Amino acid sequence: MLRTTPARDQSHVHRIKSELDLSVALAQLRKWSMVNGFDAPGATRLVTAASEIGRNILKYAGKGELRYRPVAEGRKTGVEVAAVDQGPGIADIELAMQDRSSSSGTLGLGLPGVKRLVDRFDINSSPESGTHVTFRLWKR
Amino acid sequence: MTNESQGEFLGSVEEHLLIHGIKPDDLENVRKFGAAIGDRMPEYIRHFYAWLETRPDYREYFHDGDLLGRVQSSQIDHWQSFFDARVDEAYLATRVQLGEAHARIGLPLPSYFAGVSQSFVIFTEKLYEGGLSPEEHAASMISIVKLLNLDTTIVVDTFSKLVAEQFAEQSMALAEMSTPVTAIWDDILMLPIVGIIDSNRAQDVMAAVLAKIMETRAKVFIMDISGVAVVDTAVANHLIKITKATKLMGCECMISGLSPAIAQTIVDLGIETGDVRTTTTLRDALEVGFATIGVSVSRA
Repeated sequence: MLRTTPARDQSHVHRIKSELDLSVALAQLRKWSMVNGFDAPGATRLVTAASEIGRNILKYAGKGELRYRPVAEGRKTGVEVAAVDQGPGIADIELAMQDRSSSSGTLGLGLPGVKRLVDRFDINSSPESGTHVTFRLWKR
Repeated sequence: MTNESQGEFLGSVEEHLLIHGIKPDDLENVRKFGAAIGDRMPEYIRHFYAWLETRPDYREYFHDGDLLGRVQSSQIDHWQSFFDARVDEAYLATRVQLGEAHARIGLPLPSYFAGVSQSFVIFTEKLYEGGLSPEEHAASMISIVKLLNLDTTIVVDTFSKLVAEQFAEQSMALAEMSTPVTAIWDDILMLPIVGIIDSNRAQDVMAAVLAKIMETRAKVFIMDISGVAVVDTAVANHLIKITKATKLMGCECMISGLSPAIAQTIVDLGIETGDVRTTTTLRDALEVGFATIGVSVSRA
Protein backbone atom coordinates (compact mmCIF):
# COMPACT_ATOMS: atom_id res chain seq x y z
CA MET A 1 0.00 0.00 0.00
CA LEU A 2 1.18 3.53 -0.77
CA ARG A 3 2.50 5.39 2.20
CA THR A 4 3.71 8.67 0.83
CA THR A 5 2.70 11.80 2.61
CA PRO A 6 3.63 14.83 0.53
CA ALA A 7 4.94 17.90 2.34
CA ARG A 8 2.11 20.27 3.19
CA ASP A 9 1.49 22.10 -0.03
CA GLN A 10 2.16 25.75 0.58
CA SER A 11 1.30 27.08 -2.81
CA HIS A 12 -1.57 29.49 -3.23
CA VAL A 13 -3.68 29.44 -6.35
CA HIS A 14 -5.99 32.20 -7.49
CA ARG A 15 -8.19 31.79 -10.51
CA ILE A 16 -8.16 34.99 -12.52
CA LYS A 17 -11.17 35.76 -14.65
CA SER A 18 -11.65 39.46 -14.02
CA GLU A 19 -9.76 42.53 -12.88
CA LEU A 20 -11.48 42.15 -9.53
CA ASP A 21 -10.11 38.60 -9.16
CA LEU A 22 -6.67 39.95 -9.91
CA SER A 23 -7.01 42.74 -7.36
CA VAL A 24 -8.10 40.32 -4.66
CA ALA A 25 -5.24 37.95 -5.52
CA LEU A 26 -2.74 40.82 -5.37
CA ALA A 27 -4.10 42.05 -2.04
CA GLN A 28 -3.66 38.55 -0.62
CA LEU A 29 -0.19 38.26 -2.10
CA ARG A 30 0.78 41.55 -0.45
CA LYS A 31 -0.56 40.37 2.87
CA TRP A 32 1.24 37.06 2.48
CA SER A 33 4.53 38.73 1.55
CA MET A 34 4.47 40.99 4.61
CA VAL A 35 3.71 38.05 6.91
CA ASN A 36 6.47 36.06 5.24
CA GLY A 37 9.23 38.57 5.83
CA PHE A 38 9.38 40.78 2.75
CA ASP A 39 10.11 44.43 3.50
CA ALA A 40 7.83 47.14 2.08
CA PRO A 41 9.94 47.84 -1.06
CA GLY A 42 10.19 44.09 -1.68
CA ALA A 43 6.45 43.66 -1.32
CA THR A 44 5.82 46.53 -3.76
CA ARG A 45 8.22 44.99 -6.26
CA LEU A 46 6.62 41.58 -5.85
CA VAL A 47 3.04 42.74 -6.15
CA THR A 48 3.79 45.01 -9.10
CA ALA A 49 5.53 42.24 -11.02
CA ALA A 50 2.70 39.81 -10.19
CA SER A 51 0.21 42.42 -11.35
CA GLU A 52 1.96 42.74 -14.72
CA ILE A 53 1.96 39.03 -15.46
CA GLY A 54 -1.53 38.59 -14.01
CA ARG A 55 -2.87 41.34 -16.23
CA ASN A 56 -1.39 39.66 -19.28
CA ILE A 57 -3.57 36.63 -18.50
CA LEU A 58 -6.67 38.80 -18.73
CA LYS A 59 -5.46 40.68 -21.77
CA TYR A 60 -4.36 37.75 -23.89
CA ALA A 61 -6.06 34.61 -22.56
CA GLY A 62 -9.12 35.93 -20.75
CA LYS A 63 -8.63 33.65 -17.80
CA GLY A 64 -5.98 31.65 -16.01
CA GLU A 65 -4.30 31.25 -12.67
CA LEU A 66 -1.93 33.24 -10.54
CA ARG A 67 0.05 31.03 -8.15
CA TYR A 68 2.64 31.75 -5.53
CA ARG A 69 4.66 29.72 -3.09
CA PRO A 70 7.65 30.14 -0.81
CA VAL A 71 10.97 28.98 -2.27
CA ALA A 72 14.53 28.65 -1.01
CA GLU A 73 17.83 28.33 -2.81
CA GLY A 74 20.95 27.96 -0.70
CA ARG A 75 20.69 30.69 1.89
CA LYS A 76 18.26 32.78 -0.09
CA THR A 77 14.58 32.56 0.61
CA GLY A 78 11.78 34.19 -1.26
CA VAL A 79 8.77 33.59 -3.39
CA GLU A 80 7.97 32.10 -6.76
CA VAL A 81 5.06 33.53 -8.67
CA ALA A 82 3.56 31.96 -11.78
CA ALA A 83 0.93 33.17 -14.21
CA VAL A 84 -0.50 30.26 -16.14
CA ASP A 85 -3.07 30.39 -18.90
CA GLN A 86 -4.43 28.25 -21.71
CA GLY A 87 -4.57 31.12 -24.14
CA PRO A 88 -3.24 31.34 -27.68
CA GLY A 89 0.37 31.65 -26.51
CA ILE A 90 2.90 34.27 -27.50
CA ALA A 91 3.96 33.93 -31.12
CA ASP A 92 7.34 35.57 -30.78
CA ILE A 93 8.78 35.49 -27.26
CA GLU A 94 11.97 37.32 -28.25
CA LEU A 95 9.94 40.17 -29.62
CA ALA A 96 7.78 40.20 -26.50
CA MET A 97 10.91 40.44 -24.36
CA GLN A 98 12.17 43.54 -26.17
CA ASP A 99 11.63 46.93 -24.67
CA ARG A 100 9.02 48.60 -26.79
CA SER A 101 8.22 51.65 -24.77
CA SER A 102 6.40 54.02 -27.06
CA SER A 103 5.39 57.64 -26.80
CA SER A 104 1.73 56.62 -26.86
CA GLY A 105 2.20 55.16 -23.43
CA THR A 106 1.51 51.61 -24.49
CA LEU A 107 4.21 49.29 -23.33
CA GLY A 108 3.59 46.01 -25.04
CA LEU A 109 3.55 43.08 -22.66
CA GLY A 110 5.51 44.80 -19.91
CA LEU A 111 7.62 41.66 -19.64
CA PRO A 112 11.05 43.30 -19.97
CA GLY A 113 10.02 45.52 -17.07
CA VAL A 114 9.01 42.53 -14.98
CA LYS A 115 12.36 40.90 -15.70
CA ARG A 116 14.13 43.97 -14.33
CA LEU A 117 11.99 43.92 -11.19
CA VAL A 118 12.67 40.32 -10.21
CA ASP A 119 15.62 38.02 -9.56
CA ARG A 120 14.79 35.20 -11.93
CA PHE A 121 12.43 35.20 -14.85
CA ASP A 122 11.22 32.43 -17.08
CA ILE A 123 8.66 32.25 -19.86
CA ASN A 124 7.25 29.33 -21.81
CA SER A 125 4.59 29.67 -24.40
CA SER A 126 3.02 27.64 -27.17
CA PRO A 127 -0.36 27.52 -28.88
CA GLU A 128 -0.92 24.02 -27.42
CA SER A 129 -0.09 24.58 -23.78
CA GLY A 130 -0.70 28.30 -23.39
CA THR A 131 1.64 30.61 -21.54
CA HIS A 132 3.55 30.07 -18.28
CA VAL A 133 5.37 33.07 -16.90
CA THR A 134 7.32 32.42 -13.71
CA PHE A 135 9.55 34.59 -11.59
CA ARG A 136 11.37 34.41 -8.30
CA LEU A 137 12.13 37.23 -5.95
CA TRP A 138 14.45 36.88 -2.95
CA LYS A 139 14.05 38.63 0.35
CA ARG A 140 16.71 41.29 0.96
CA MET B 1 -3.98 26.76 8.28
CA THR B 2 -3.20 27.42 11.93
CA ASN B 3 -4.73 25.48 14.77
CA GLU B 4 -6.50 28.58 15.90
CA SER B 5 -8.44 29.04 12.71
CA GLN B 6 -9.15 25.34 12.51
CA GLY B 7 -11.02 25.84 15.75
CA GLU B 8 -13.40 28.13 13.90
CA PHE B 9 -14.15 25.51 11.32
CA LEU B 10 -14.10 22.44 13.47
CA GLY B 11 -15.71 20.97 16.48
CA SER B 12 -14.09 18.13 18.37
CA VAL B 13 -13.53 14.71 16.87
CA GLU B 14 -16.19 13.28 19.22
CA GLU B 15 -18.75 15.83 18.08
CA HIS B 16 -18.22 14.97 14.46
CA LEU B 17 -18.51 11.26 15.10
CA LEU B 18 -21.66 11.85 17.14
CA ILE B 19 -23.32 14.04 14.49
CA HIS B 20 -22.90 11.36 11.87
CA GLY B 21 -23.75 8.46 14.16
CA ILE B 22 -20.35 6.88 13.69
CA LYS B 23 -19.46 4.28 16.32
CA PRO B 24 -16.20 2.37 16.75
CA ASP B 25 -17.83 -0.55 14.92
CA ASP B 26 -18.37 1.66 11.88
CA LEU B 27 -14.71 2.59 11.73
CA GLU B 28 -13.81 -1.07 12.04
CA ASN B 29 -16.19 -1.89 9.15
CA VAL B 30 -14.56 0.77 6.96
CA ARG B 31 -11.13 -0.67 7.75
CA LYS B 32 -12.31 -4.20 6.89
CA PHE B 33 -13.61 -3.01 3.55
CA GLY B 34 -10.31 -1.19 2.93
CA ALA B 35 -8.40 -4.38 3.72
CA ALA B 36 -10.60 -6.30 1.27
CA ILE B 37 -9.67 -3.87 -1.50
CA GLY B 38 -6.09 -4.09 -0.33
CA ASP B 39 -3.45 -3.56 -2.98
CA ARG B 40 -5.94 -2.47 -5.61
CA MET B 41 -6.22 0.98 -4.05
CA PRO B 42 -3.84 2.70 -6.53
CA GLU B 43 -6.09 1.52 -9.39
CA TYR B 44 -8.63 3.98 -8.06
CA ILE B 45 -6.78 6.80 -9.85
CA ARG B 46 -7.11 5.13 -13.25
CA HIS B 47 -10.85 4.60 -12.84
CA PHE B 48 -11.43 8.03 -11.41
CA TYR B 49 -9.64 9.86 -14.24
CA ALA B 50 -11.28 7.70 -16.90
CA TRP B 51 -14.51 9.10 -15.53
CA LEU B 52 -13.24 12.64 -14.93
CA GLU B 53 -11.99 13.04 -18.49
CA THR B 54 -15.56 12.70 -19.67
CA ARG B 55 -16.57 15.67 -17.53
CA PRO B 56 -16.78 19.20 -18.95
CA ASP B 57 -14.89 20.59 -15.93
CA TYR B 58 -11.88 18.44 -16.61
CA ARG B 59 -9.85 20.62 -18.96
CA GLU B 60 -10.64 23.75 -17.08
CA TYR B 61 -9.43 22.49 -13.71
CA PHE B 62 -6.78 19.92 -14.59
CA HIS B 63 -5.02 21.28 -17.62
CA ASP B 64 -1.61 21.25 -16.03
CA GLY B 65 0.43 18.06 -15.71
CA ASP B 66 2.30 19.09 -12.54
CA LEU B 67 -0.91 19.94 -10.81
CA LEU B 68 -2.49 16.70 -11.93
CA GLY B 69 0.40 14.68 -10.45
CA ARG B 70 0.11 16.49 -7.13
CA VAL B 71 -3.65 16.10 -7.03
CA GLN B 72 -3.45 12.39 -7.80
CA SER B 73 -0.89 11.66 -5.13
CA SER B 74 -2.90 13.53 -2.53
CA GLN B 75 -6.04 11.71 -3.66
CA ILE B 76 -4.38 8.36 -2.93
CA ASP B 77 -3.35 9.67 0.48
CA HIS B 78 -6.85 10.88 1.06
CA TRP B 79 -8.53 7.55 0.42
CA GLN B 80 -5.77 5.73 2.25
CA SER B 81 -6.57 7.73 5.34
CA PHE B 82 -10.29 7.23 4.72
CA PHE B 83 -9.95 3.45 4.81
CA ASP B 84 -7.50 3.62 7.71
CA ALA B 85 -10.49 5.26 9.41
CA ARG B 86 -8.49 6.80 12.26
CA VAL B 87 -10.65 9.85 12.79
CA ASP B 88 -8.52 12.21 14.86
CA GLU B 89 -7.65 15.89 14.62
CA ALA B 90 -5.15 15.30 11.84
CA TYR B 91 -7.84 13.48 9.87
CA LEU B 92 -10.25 16.40 10.23
CA ALA B 93 -7.49 18.87 9.33
CA THR B 94 -6.81 17.18 5.99
CA ARG B 95 -10.52 17.49 5.15
CA VAL B 96 -10.36 21.19 5.97
CA GLN B 97 -7.38 21.50 3.62
CA LEU B 98 -9.34 19.79 0.89
CA GLY B 99 -12.19 22.27 1.31
CA GLU B 100 -9.68 25.14 1.20
CA ALA B 101 -8.06 23.81 -1.95
CA HIS B 102 -11.40 23.50 -3.72
CA ALA B 103 -12.47 26.96 -2.65
CA ARG B 104 -9.20 28.47 -3.87
CA ILE B 105 -9.54 27.08 -7.37
CA GLY B 106 -13.27 27.81 -7.39
CA LEU B 107 -14.27 24.20 -8.11
CA PRO B 108 -18.08 24.14 -8.15
CA LEU B 109 -19.61 22.09 -5.34
CA PRO B 110 -21.68 19.92 -7.70
CA SER B 111 -18.40 18.79 -9.28
CA TYR B 112 -17.05 17.89 -5.86
CA PHE B 113 -20.18 15.93 -4.95
CA ALA B 114 -20.09 14.12 -8.29
CA GLY B 115 -16.47 13.17 -7.57
CA VAL B 116 -17.37 11.79 -4.13
CA SER B 117 -20.25 9.73 -5.54
CA GLN B 118 -18.07 8.44 -8.33
CA SER B 119 -15.36 7.44 -5.86
CA PHE B 120 -17.93 5.50 -3.86
CA VAL B 121 -18.97 3.68 -7.04
CA ILE B 122 -15.35 2.89 -7.92
CA PHE B 123 -14.53 1.46 -4.50
CA THR B 124 -17.70 -0.54 -4.07
CA GLU B 125 -18.29 -1.72 -7.63
CA LYS B 126 -14.99 -1.68 -9.47
CA LEU B 127 -12.30 -2.40 -6.89
CA TYR B 128 -14.16 -4.66 -4.49
CA GLU B 129 -14.06 -8.27 -5.62
CA GLY B 130 -15.35 -10.07 -2.57
CA GLY B 131 -13.68 -11.15 0.63
CA LEU B 132 -16.34 -10.06 3.11
CA SER B 133 -19.37 -12.03 4.21
CA PRO B 134 -22.70 -10.65 2.95
CA GLU B 135 -23.43 -9.29 6.45
CA GLU B 136 -20.01 -7.68 6.73
CA HIS B 137 -20.38 -6.22 3.27
CA ALA B 138 -23.79 -4.71 4.01
CA ALA B 139 -22.57 -3.25 7.28
CA SER B 140 -19.47 -1.78 5.66
CA MET B 141 -21.59 0.00 3.01
CA ILE B 142 -23.53 1.81 5.72
CA SER B 143 -20.38 2.68 7.63
CA ILE B 144 -18.63 3.99 4.52
CA VAL B 145 -21.57 6.25 3.73
CA LYS B 146 -21.52 7.64 7.27
CA LEU B 147 -17.82 8.41 7.10
CA LEU B 148 -18.18 9.90 3.61
CA ASN B 149 -20.87 12.19 5.01
CA LEU B 150 -18.52 13.30 7.77
CA ASP B 151 -15.79 14.11 5.21
CA THR B 152 -18.20 15.93 2.93
CA THR B 153 -19.66 18.00 5.75
CA ILE B 154 -16.24 19.33 6.70
CA VAL B 155 -15.19 20.00 3.12
CA VAL B 156 -18.42 21.85 2.30
CA ASP B 157 -18.38 23.79 5.56
CA THR B 158 -14.81 24.96 4.93
CA PHE B 159 -15.57 25.68 1.30
CA SER B 160 -18.62 27.82 1.99
CA LYS B 161 -16.89 29.81 4.72
CA LEU B 162 -13.95 30.59 2.46
CA VAL B 163 -16.17 31.56 -0.44
CA ALA B 164 -18.06 33.90 1.88
CA GLU B 165 -14.72 35.43 2.93
CA GLN B 166 -13.69 35.92 -0.69
CA PHE B 167 -16.99 37.58 -1.38
CA ALA B 168 -16.50 39.92 1.58
CA GLU B 169 -13.02 40.82 0.32
CA GLN B 170 -14.35 41.59 -3.13
CA SER B 171 -17.08 43.75 -1.66
CA MET B 172 -14.53 45.66 0.37
CA ALA B 173 -12.37 46.14 -2.69
CA LEU B 174 -15.37 47.51 -4.56
CA ALA B 175 -16.42 49.77 -1.70
CA GLU B 176 -13.02 51.44 -1.78
CA MET B 177 -13.57 52.46 -5.34
CA SER B 178 -15.41 55.74 -4.79
CA THR B 179 -14.03 58.84 -6.45
CA PRO B 180 -14.58 61.91 -4.28
CA VAL B 181 -13.04 64.77 -6.25
CA THR B 182 -13.05 67.72 -3.87
CA ALA B 183 -12.29 71.42 -4.31
CA ILE B 184 -9.88 72.02 -1.43
CA TRP B 185 -9.16 75.64 -2.38
CA ASP B 186 -10.33 78.05 -5.02
CA ASP B 187 -9.03 76.59 -8.27
CA ILE B 188 -7.50 73.51 -6.64
CA LEU B 189 -9.09 70.07 -6.87
CA MET B 190 -7.88 67.04 -5.07
CA LEU B 191 -8.58 63.33 -5.25
CA PRO B 192 -7.07 60.78 -2.91
CA ILE B 193 -7.11 57.39 -4.58
CA VAL B 194 -7.20 54.46 -2.19
CA GLY B 195 -7.09 50.78 -3.04
CA ILE B 196 -7.01 49.41 -6.51
CA ILE B 197 -7.21 51.06 -9.90
CA ASP B 198 -8.65 48.99 -12.68
CA SER B 199 -9.82 50.18 -16.07
CA ASN B 200 -13.40 50.83 -14.92
CA ARG B 201 -12.28 52.86 -11.98
CA ALA B 202 -9.79 54.80 -14.09
CA GLN B 203 -12.64 55.76 -16.40
CA ASP B 204 -14.77 56.81 -13.42
CA VAL B 205 -11.95 58.95 -12.09
CA MET B 206 -11.38 60.51 -15.48
CA ALA B 207 -15.06 61.35 -15.94
CA ALA B 208 -15.47 62.68 -12.40
CA VAL B 209 -12.36 64.87 -12.61
CA LEU B 210 -13.15 66.34 -16.00
CA ALA B 211 -16.72 67.14 -14.95
CA LYS B 212 -15.46 68.79 -11.78
CA ILE B 213 -12.92 70.86 -13.69
CA MET B 214 -15.66 71.99 -16.03
CA GLU B 215 -17.86 72.90 -13.09
CA THR B 216 -15.28 74.68 -10.90
CA ARG B 217 -12.90 75.94 -13.62
CA ALA B 218 -10.09 74.69 -11.40
CA LYS B 219 -6.52 75.32 -12.52
CA VAL B 220 -4.80 72.65 -10.43
CA PHE B 221 -5.69 69.03 -9.85
CA ILE B 222 -3.82 66.93 -7.31
CA MET B 223 -4.19 63.19 -7.45
CA ASP B 224 -2.75 61.55 -4.35
CA ILE B 225 -1.79 57.94 -4.93
CA SER B 226 -0.15 57.13 -1.59
CA GLY B 227 -3.03 54.76 -0.89
CA VAL B 228 -2.91 52.96 -4.21
CA ALA B 229 -2.18 49.28 -3.84
CA VAL B 230 -0.31 48.64 -7.08
CA VAL B 231 1.18 50.86 -9.75
CA ASP B 232 1.99 48.63 -12.69
CA THR B 233 2.21 49.69 -16.34
CA ALA B 234 -1.54 49.52 -16.84
CA VAL B 235 -2.24 51.65 -13.78
CA ALA B 236 0.51 54.09 -14.70
CA ASN B 237 -0.94 54.42 -18.18
CA HIS B 238 -4.36 55.16 -16.74
CA LEU B 239 -2.87 57.84 -14.49
CA ILE B 240 -0.89 59.37 -17.34
CA LYS B 241 -4.01 59.52 -19.50
CA ILE B 242 -5.89 61.31 -16.72
CA THR B 243 -3.14 63.91 -16.42
CA LYS B 244 -3.14 64.46 -20.19
CA ALA B 245 -6.91 64.93 -20.35
CA THR B 246 -6.92 67.38 -17.44
CA LYS B 247 -4.15 69.36 -19.10
CA LEU B 248 -6.22 69.61 -22.26
CA MET B 249 -8.90 71.25 -20.12
CA GLY B 250 -6.45 73.86 -18.96
CA CYS B 251 -5.86 72.33 -15.57
CA GLU B 252 -2.42 71.43 -14.27
CA CYS B 253 -2.34 67.90 -12.89
CA MET B 254 0.03 66.68 -10.24
CA ILE B 255 0.44 63.21 -8.84
CA SER B 256 1.48 63.15 -5.21
CA GLY B 257 2.31 60.38 -2.80
CA LEU B 258 4.98 58.53 -4.74
CA SER B 259 6.81 56.30 -2.31
CA PRO B 260 10.48 55.41 -2.96
CA ALA B 261 9.44 51.85 -3.73
CA ILE B 262 6.87 52.90 -6.30
CA ALA B 263 9.26 55.40 -7.90
CA GLN B 264 11.81 52.62 -8.29
CA THR B 265 9.38 50.08 -9.72
CA ILE B 266 8.12 52.64 -12.23
CA VAL B 267 11.68 53.17 -13.44
CA ASP B 268 12.38 49.43 -13.59
CA LEU B 269 9.21 48.80 -15.52
CA GLY B 270 10.43 51.34 -18.07
CA ILE B 271 7.34 53.49 -17.88
CA GLU B 272 7.69 56.80 -19.73
CA THR B 273 6.20 59.32 -17.37
CA GLY B 274 6.90 62.17 -19.79
CA ASP B 275 6.18 65.59 -18.30
CA VAL B 276 3.82 64.40 -15.58
CA ARG B 277 4.48 66.43 -12.46
CA THR B 278 4.96 64.24 -9.41
CA THR B 279 5.75 64.93 -5.78
CA THR B 280 6.54 62.74 -2.84
CA THR B 281 4.08 64.27 -0.43
CA LEU B 282 0.70 65.89 -0.73
CA ARG B 283 2.17 68.92 1.04
CA ASP B 284 4.72 69.45 -1.73
CA ALA B 285 1.98 69.21 -4.33
CA LEU B 286 -0.08 71.79 -2.46
CA GLU B 287 2.84 74.20 -2.35
CA VAL B 288 3.33 73.88 -6.09
CA GLY B 289 -0.42 74.30 -6.54
CA PHE B 290 -0.54 77.49 -4.50
CA ALA B 291 2.39 78.89 -6.46
CA THR B 292 0.60 78.04 -9.71
CA ILE B 293 -2.53 79.93 -8.78
CA GLY B 294 -0.52 82.75 -7.21
CA VAL B 295 -1.46 82.28 -3.58
CA SER B 296 1.13 82.62 -0.89
CA VAL B 297 0.62 80.98 2.41
CA SER B 298 2.30 82.32 5.52
CA ARG B 299 1.82 82.14 9.26
CA ALA B 300 -0.26 84.94 10.70
